[in-house]
Amino acid sequence: MANTRRVVITGMGIVSPLGNTVEEFGLNLMQGISGIKRLETDFSDQLEINIAASADFDGAQHFSKKELAVLDRVSQFALYAAQQALDNAGLDADSMDTNKTGCYLGTGMGGAASTEEGYHRLFKEGQSRLKPFTVLMAMNNAAASHIAMHYGLGGPNLTYTTACSSSAIAIGEASRQIAYGHCDYMLAGGSEALLTFGTIKAWEALRTLAKVDEQNPAASCKPFSADRSGLVLGEGCAMFVLESYDAAMARGATIHAEIAGYGTANDASHITQPSVAGQARAMQAALDNAGLAPEQIDYINAHGTGTPLNDATETAAIKQVFGPHAYQLAISSTKSMHGHLMGAAGAVELVATTLALQAQWLPPTMHLQQPDPECDLHYVANHATPQHVRYAMSNSFAFGGTGGVIILKKS
Amino acid sequence: MENTFETVRTLIAEKLEIDKATISPDSVLTEIGLDSLDTFDIIFDAEDTFGIKVPTPKEEIKTVQDVATLLDQLLREQAPEGPATPAQAQR
Repeated sequence: MANTRRVVITGMGIVSPLGNTVEEFGLNLMQGISGIKRLETDFSDQLEINIAASADFDGAQHFSKKELAVLDRVSQFALYAAQQALDNAGLDADSMDTNKTGCYLGTGMGGAASTEEGYHRLFKEGQSRLKPFTVLMAMNNAAASHIAMHYGLGGPNLTYTTACSSSAIAIGEASRQIAYGHCDYMLAGGSEALLTFGTIKAWEALRTLAKVDEQNPAASCKPFSADRSGLVLGEGCAMFVLESYDAAMARGATIHAEIAGYGTANDASHITQPSVAGQARAMQAALDNAGLAPEQIDYINAHGTGTPLNDATETAAIKQVFGPHAYQLAISSTKSMHGHLMGAAGAVELVATTLALQAQWLPPTMHLQQPDPECDLHYVANHATPQHVRYAMSNSFAFGGTGGVIILKKS
Repeated sequence: MENTFETVRTLIAEKLEIDKATISPDSVLTEIGLDSLDTFDIIFDAEDTFGIKVPTPKEEIKTVQDVATLLDQLLREQAPEGPATPAQAQR
C-alpha cells in the first residue's frame, strides 16, 4: 500500500467451536479435529438438520448478572475475545490513546437470540410486553458498542453487515484506519451467535445446510469433496488488535502477521448464487492493494463453505485470478472443522491463516474423500502439512454478493 | 406495604448480586448501581412477580421506596392477573 503505513496484527482473541483460546483453536485446527456435533437443545427434535458447530461458552462464567441482563451472547463473545486480543497485544486502556483507538466489528444477525426471545414472548406465550433491554441486546451494533464502552474507545466504531463476509470487511476496513494514520490501534473482528431455533429453521428453508453424515456427524461438512452437501452453521468470534508496523516495533510488540492487502467487490448478479467474476474481482483487488503478483501467494484459506455451488465457483475464480499458479498454491477450508461462523467466519479464518503463517503449517480441509472434477486444485486434504508460506490469502464471500479478501504477510 | 419493598429489594439484590441488607428504602437507585434502564428492568421483573402492568411512571423514581410505592399504588388499582407467587412469574 503505497504512501500508507504498514499494518500489523499484534493481538488475537477467539471464542470458537474449536476452543476459546487461540492456542486451543490452533491445536485442534492442525490436528483436524471437528467441532461439529449434534445439537442438544430443547428444540433439537424439531430440526430436520440437527448438527451445528457450537462454542462451549457459558456467559455466567465471565459476566455478572447485571452485565448478562444487557449482553446478548453475540456481545459476550465479542467482549471476551476483545479482552484476549488486548492481553495478547500487551495493551490496556491506560497504555493507549483511547480516542485514537476504534472498533470495527462484523456480524450477520447481531443479537439473534434476543430478537427471537422477544418474538417468542409475544407470539408464542401471548405476552404483551418485552424486556426493556430487547432493542439494546438485539441491535447489530451492540457488540462493538459494548467494547467501546468497556475500554473507553472514543475512536471510530462501526458495525459491518455483509452476511458471511462481514468480519473480513470489518478487519479490512479497520486496517485502513491504521494505514491512513487515522487511528493508533483498532480492535477488529466479527462475532456471531445465531444457533437459535428460528434462525436454524430459516437456514433449513434455504436448503444450503449439509446433510448429516450419519456415520460421523462431525464429518458432515465436506468442502471441495464430490460428496459435499452444504454448510454447517457455527457460532463464535475472533478479535484482532491492529496497529502500524512502526508503532509495534517501537513498543517491542510481537507481530503475528502483517496485513499486506485487502480487497472487496460485489458479485452484482444474484442474492445467493456466487459469481466467478465477482469472487475473482475481490481477490484481484486484494492483490492489487498489496502490490503482489499472483505467483507470490503460497496459501489460500478458502471461503470453502461445502455447498456444491460455492466450492466449484471459488475454484474457478482462483483459476481465473492465479492462472497456472492456481495448481501450485495450497488451499484449505477450515470450515470443515469449525463450521460456517457467518458474520464471524472471516475473522476466525484469519486467525487460522495467521497461525498457518506463524507455524509454517497449513491447516487441512477435512473430510475430503471424493475428488470432484470441478474442484481439482491442491486442498491440503485431511492432514495438516508443513509448507513454506510467505503470503497467505483469506477469502470470504457472501449472500448479497460482497466479497472480502485479506492478504497476510509472514512477519 | 413492607412486603412490596422486600420483594423489590430482593429483585435488586439478585440483579446486582449484592447483599440485600445493604439496600434500604432510602437507597438512591443510581447510587446503588441502577440507571434508568436498569430500573425499568427491575419494574419489568416486578410486573411479572406481582401480575400487574406498570405504565410509564409520571413521578420521578429516585429511591427503592419510590419503586415500592409505585407498585403498591398499582396493586391497589389493578386486579392482579393471577396469584402473586414466584411460580407465576414468567421471566
